[in-house]
Amino acid sequence: MQLTAFTLLLPFLSSLASARSPAQTSSSSSSTTVTLRIPPSHLLPNPHTLPASTRATFTTLGKALAAPLSVANTFVFRNVTPGSYLVDVHCATHAFVPLRVDVLRAVDSGDVDAAADVDGNVPGGLRVAAWETYRGNDWGNKGEVIPVTAASGPGEEGVVLDARAAGQKGYFMERSQFSVLSIFKNPIILLSLVSMGLFFGMPKLIENMDPEMRAEWEERQKENPMNALMGAASGQPANPIGNFDMAAFLAGSSSAKPDEGNGSGSGKGKGESKKKR
Amino acid sequence: MHLQHPASRLSLSHLLAAALTCTLTYFPQPVGAVFRDEVGHIDYHHALLGLPQRETTFFHRPRRDDRASLLYTLSDLGILGAVHPGSGEIVWRQDLRSGGDDIYDDDDENVGDGDGFGLGFTRAGEGEGWIVSALGRAVHAWDAVSGRNQFSVRFDNGVVRDLEVMEMTEQEGGRRKDVLALVEEGAATVLRRLNPTDGSVVWEFREVTRDVPLQVSTNVEKVFVVSLKGTAGAYNLKVTVLDTLTGKRLDEMVLGTKADVHGKKDVMFVGANSAAPILAWTDDARQTLRVNVLGTKTRQEFALPPDTFAVEIHAPHLIQSQPHFLVHSKTSTGHKGEVFHVDLKTNTISKAYSLPMLPGPGAFSTSSSGASVYFTRITEDEVILLSSQSHGVLGRWPLKIGGSKAVAIHLVSEVIKKAGPEESYAVRSAAVTDADNWVLIRNGEELWARPEGLTGGVTATFAEIPDREELAKSLEQEAHSSPLQAYIHRVKRHIHDLQYLPAYLNSIPSRVMSSILGTDVAPTAGKLVRDSFGFHKLVVLATKRGRVYGLDAGNNGKVLWSTRAFKIPKGRRWDVKGIQADESSGQTTILGSKDDFVVLKTDTGDIIDSRAPNPEATTQGAALVDTPSGQQLLRIGPDGKIEDLPAARAPSQTVVTRTADGQLKGVIFVANGTNSRAFTSWVFSLPKGQRVVSIATRPPHDAVASIGRVLGDRTVKYKYLNPNTLVLGAVDHSSRMLVVYLLDTVSGQVLWVSKHNGIDASKPIECAMAENWFVCTYFGQYALRDNSAQSLKGYQVVVADLYESDKPNDRGPLGDAATFSSLDPIDVPTGVVLPSVVSQSYVLSAPISALQVTQTRQGISSRQVLAYLPESHGIVGIPRMVLEPRRPVGRDPTPAEAEEGLIRYHPAIEIDPKSVITHERDVLGVGKIITSPAVVESTSLVFAYGVDIFGTRVAPSFLFDILGKGFNKLALVGTVLALLAGVVTLAPVVKRKQVNMRWEAPM
Repeated sequence: MQLTAFTLLLPFLSSLASARSPAQTSSSSSSTTVTLRIPPSHLLPNPHTLPASTRATFTTLGKALAAPLSVANTFVFRNVTPGSYLVDVHCATHAFVPLRVDVLRAVDSGDVDAAADVDGNVPGGLRVAAWETYRGNDWGNKGEVIPVTAASGPGEEGVVLDARAAGQKGYFMERSQFSVLSIFKNPIILLSLVSMGLFFGMPKLIENMDPEMRAEWEERQKENPMNALMGAASGQPANPIGNFDMAAFLAGSSSAKPDEGNGSGSGKGKGESKKKR
Repeated sequence: MHLQHPASRLSLSHLLAAALTCTLTYFPQPVGAVFRDEVGHIDYHHALLGLPQRETTFFHRPRRDDRASLLYTLSDLGILGAVHPGSGEIVWRQDLRSGGDDIYDDDDENVGDGDGFGLGFTRAGEGEGWIVSALGRAVHAWDAVSGRNQFSVRFDNGVVRDLEVMEMTEQEGGRRKDVLALVEEGAATVLRRLNPTDGSVVWEFREVTRDVPLQVSTNVEKVFVVSLKGTAGAYNLKVTVLDTLTGKRLDEMVLGTKADVHGKKDVMFVGANSAAPILAWTDDARQTLRVNVLGTKTRQEFALPPDTFAVEIHAPHLIQSQPHFLVHSKTSTGHKGEVFHVDLKTNTISKAYSLPMLPGPGAFSTSSSGASVYFTRITEDEVILLSSQSHGVLGRWPLKIGGSKAVAIHLVSEVIKKAGPEESYAVRSAAVTDADNWVLIRNGEELWARPEGLTGGVTATFAEIPDREELAKSLEQEAHSSPLQAYIHRVKRHIHDLQYLPAYLNSIPSRVMSSILGTDVAPTAGKLVRDSFGFHKLVVLATKRGRVYGLDAGNNGKVLWSTRAFKIPKGRRWDVKGIQADESSGQTTILGSKDDFVVLKTDTGDIIDSRAPNPEATTQGAALVDTPSGQQLLRIGPDGKIEDLPAARAPSQTVVTRTADGQLKGVIFVANGTNSRAFTSWVFSLPKGQRVVSIATRPPHDAVASIGRVLGDRTVKYKYLNPNTLVLGAVDHSSRMLVVYLLDTVSGQVLWVSKHNGIDASKPIECAMAENWFVCTYFGQYALRDNSAQSLKGYQVVVADLYESDKPNDRGPLGDAATFSSLDPIDVPTGVVLPSVVSQSYVLSAPISALQVTQTRQGISSRQVLAYLPESHGIVGIPRMVLEPRRPVGRDPTPAEAEEGLIRYHPAIEIDPKSVITHERDVLGVGKIITSPAVVESTSLVFAYGVDIFGTRVAPSFLFDILGKGFNKLALVGTVLALLAGVVTLAPVVKRKQVNMRWEAPM
C-alpha cells in the first residue's frame, strides 16, 4: 500500500486504511474526540517522567489544535472536525515520530463496502485513520499504519491512538576529555612506541642469541648495503646501537620523525600528544 | 539529517527511528551547541510567570497528608504556575493563553479588558490534589504537584465569567468536589457543574436573559448565581438560587433599588465557600458599603471612611471557617480595616472591631486554619497578624524587604500556629509590591523576591556601558590642542591614572589564579566596566506595565535598576513604538504611541525627561533614522504622516510608512531653509485582497565582510547588497496565498516577487532579512509545482539569496561602479537593476517565530537564524549553511560544491536539539529576540523577552578568537612544568654522555 502512495487518492487510500483499522466514533457527526496516548516503550520506559510542558498539536490548513499532557499520559483532542492532520508531540526531553491522522466522514469515503464494514447504521459518523508520516516527503507517502481503537475507558469517547517516541533529546555537546588512553589511541604515538620498542629491544635480542646464530646474523648484516651505510657513519659496523648518540639522533639523522609528528597529526589529538611529549 | 529520499520509500519507520535517534544523540557536525559546563556561565534565564493577581493567588496543599504547601498563581499574562514557597523556584507552569484546544485563538473578550476582575480564575478544593483554572473559553484542571492536565473543557460559544469549587458535595458523591463554571454565552447565562475527574457536565443551568453574569457562589446547600440586571450604568443585583443536586432554580431575588450598581467594579466581593457567603457592593462615590448575606433578601449598609477611593473585602474561603470578613478601605492618605461577623442563625452582620487607620498604603490578607481566621496586615514598615475574633495583635514583625522601600499591593498568607505552651505564630506572605516584584515575607523578613515585572516586555535594546566617555573626551581634547599642550595633558592624565595602579597590582594574583583555574574574574564590585571581549553590555527593557528595567547582560542578567516610567492603568498596556540607546550621551530614549516619551540614563535608570501618555494614540510607529545631528528616533503619526522637521533633525534616508488603508509610502525630506518638508516619494499599494503580515529590513548593524561568495571553482558570485531594501509578506485570505515582495525603499520599485500557495494566514508568518538574503516562515499545504501529484503539509521556511547576476564573475549592469541610484534608469534594455534570486524552501519539524539573525562585529562569522519554538519553549539557532538555497537538489554535491560547504538538499530540516541555544531550559512565551555584536568577532549576544527573560552568547562559527571553557589551562601549565622537569633531569645525563664521547679516542 505504501508503494502506491505516490498518488493523492486520499479518499480511496484512507478508506482502505480505515478498513484495516476501523474505529467508529460515538459522538456527534461533525466532530470527534481523538486521544493520543504515550505508551511506555524501550526508548521511553516511563512516560510519567515527561515534563508537564509537553504538548501535542493537530495541524492542518486553517486549523490548529493543541492539548497539554494529561495525568494519564494522553493528549485529549475534543471537537476534531474532518480533515487530514499533521500530528506532532512537542516535548523538551524526547522526540516523537510525526503522525498523519485523517478524520473522515464515513459517507464521504466513497467506498461503500468500507463504510458498511464499519457501521452502516450511523450515516455521517466519523472514522479516524492514522499513519506515520515523513517530513519533507509527499503527504500521500504514508508510513506504517497506527492502529486506531475506539475508546473504552469510563467517560472516554472517540478514538485512541498511540504516539511513538523516537528517542531522547541530547542538548549538550560532549567536551573532549583529556585522558592518557586517548593519547595511546593516536596512531603516531603507537608507531613511535613500536619503533622505540624495536630500538631498545633489538640489542637485547641480539645479545641473547646463541653465538652461532649471532655470527651468522652479523655476517648477513655486513652484506646489507643499508647497514654498510649506517656502519660507515658510526665507524662501528658490529654494534651500531652501542654508541648511539641521542643528541645527534634528535638533531638531524632522523628528521623524519619530528616531521611526521608535526605534519600528519590532525585535530585535537595532535595538540594533546605534543603536550604529553 | 535523517531524511528519506523519496525513492527509498520502503525504508520503514524503523530506519527513520534509528536515524532520528542517531541525529538526536550523536551529531558528527556540531552546529554551535552548548556545553554543559557553559550553562549559567554564558547564558542566563529568568523563569517568570507574570504579575500574580489578587484573586488567583493562593497557598494550597497539593497532597492531603502532606503539610507542605505550594504557592499557586494565575498571572496577569495568563500563565498558571506553582512556586515553591521556600525557594521561590517554579515547580511547573502552563501557558493558558495558548493552552486549551485552540492555540492561536486570541479573540477571547475578557483577556486584558481591565474590567476589575482581572483575567482568568483559579481555584483549588481544600484537600484536593488538583487545581482548576479558567481563561477565556476554556476550563482546565491540573494536577497540583506535576502540573499535568486532568481535564480540559472548552466552551466554544461562551466565555467563562467565574469559577468555583463546591466545597460541599452530596453524600453519595463521596469526597468528590465538583467545579462550577459560570459561562456567558451571548445573551444566555449558563452555569455548569463539572466532574473534576474528567470534566463531564453533571448538570447545566441555562437562563436566557440580557443580564450580565457576574459570579457564582455556594454555601452548604445552595448555589448562587449573581448577575447584573438592567442597563449599563444602572444595574440591579440579581441573585438566582439553584439546587446543588439538580441545578434547578429554587428562587430568584433582586437586591437594591434601581441604578444601585454602575458597573462590575462596584461589586466588591461575592463571598466564596464560607458558611454564609456574602455579596458586597458600594455606590459609585465609595461612601457606603452594602452587604447582603446570599440567600437572604435584606441588605445592610455601613459607612466607609471619608475619601475612600477603593474597597477590598477579605474573607475566608473554607466552609469550616468562621463567617468573618474584613473590609479594607483605602484613602488617599492611609488605609483602614474593619472586621465584621456574620451571625449564622439570624443572617445579620455586625461590626466586631475596627483596626486603626494607618498612614500610607497597606495590604491585608486572610488565612484560615480550621475554624480560626487570621488577618495579616502589611504596612510600609510592619507585618501585623490579627485574629478575626478580637483586635488583639497575635504577632508583629518589622518589615525588611531587600533594602529598598517597597509597598505591598496585595498578598496571600499562610499562618502556622506553633505548638508550645505560649501562643506563638509564624506567618509567611507572598506579596506583590509596587515595584512589580513578588516577594515572600516570612515573619517580616524577605525570603525571596521574583522580578515578575520583567514579564510582558514590549521592547528592548542592548546598550554599551557608558564608561569610556571621559577617556574619549580627554582624547578628543588632546587631538584639538597644540602638540606640547597635548603632551602635557597626556602626561598629567597618566600621572592621574597612577592612583589606580596599586589596586590593579593587587588584583593581579587573583586574576591569574582565576584565569588558571577557569573561574570567572570577580566582577568589579558595584562598578559597571566594559570587558575587553564586549560581552558586558546592558539591556534596557520596557514592559507593558510602564516599567523600564536595566539588566546586566555580562553578569547573568541581573536587574541593575528598574524605574516606573508611567503609571499604566491595570488592563492597559504601554504601547512602546521605539527605543534607542545613545552611546555617546549614555541615554536611552523610549517613544510610546500616545505622544509619550521617556529619556533615562542607561546605567542608572534615572529619568532625565519624560512626557506622560495622551488619551489618544498619535503615533503609528517610530523609525531609527540617520539625521545630520546623529541617529534619532523619528515619530511617525497615524496614517503614516510625518510632520515637517527642522533640517538638523530631518532624516537623510527615505522613511517608509504605512497608511491607514494598508499602503506603503516612501517619504523623503527636502530641506527648505532651516526646515525640512516631508514629501511622498512613492506609494506601494498591494493588490486587492492582500494584507501585510510581516515586514523585515536589514538590521541597523549589518556588517558584510565580503561582497562576493567564492565558489568552488574560484569564481565569485557577487552579493546584491542594497541597503535600501525591505521584505514585505502579504497574504490573500481568499486564495490562501502568501506573496513576498522585495522592495527598493528609495524608489518603491518591486525588485522581486514570489508567490506561495496554500498558506495558512491564521498561523504565524514572519520574515527576517540580513546581508543579501532573507527568510520567511509560514504553514503551507500545497501540491508541488513540478509534480502536482505530490503535496506537502507542514511548517516551512523559504530562504532567498540575492546576487548581482546569475553568472559568477559578473557584476551585472552596474559593473564596478562605486555608487548607484535606484532612481536613475541605467542604459540597458532591462531598465532597473534587478537582483538575481536563488531561493529554496524547507519543511521544518516545528513551528518557529520571533525570527532574528545573529550579528557579529565584522560579519566574518557565518550567521544563524535564531527563532523561538513556541511549542517546545526553546530558542533554536538554525545555521545559515543549512538554510542555503544553493544546496544541490537531487544529487550529491560535486567536489567543488562540497568545498564550498554545500550539502545535498533535503526538503526537511529537523530541529536538532544540539542547535537549541536554550538547551534544557523551559523558556516560555518569547515574543522577540534581539542580537548585538560583541567586540570579538566570533560572538553575538542574544537577548529574548516576552514572558521569560533569556540571554546568551552564540558563536555561529565557533569561538575562533577566544579560549573557551574547554581550554584546560591547568593541563597546559602542567605540561610546561613536566617538560621543564624533564629537561632539568635529562640535561646532566646528556652532558655527561657528550663529555664521555669526547674522551673516547676515535679508532
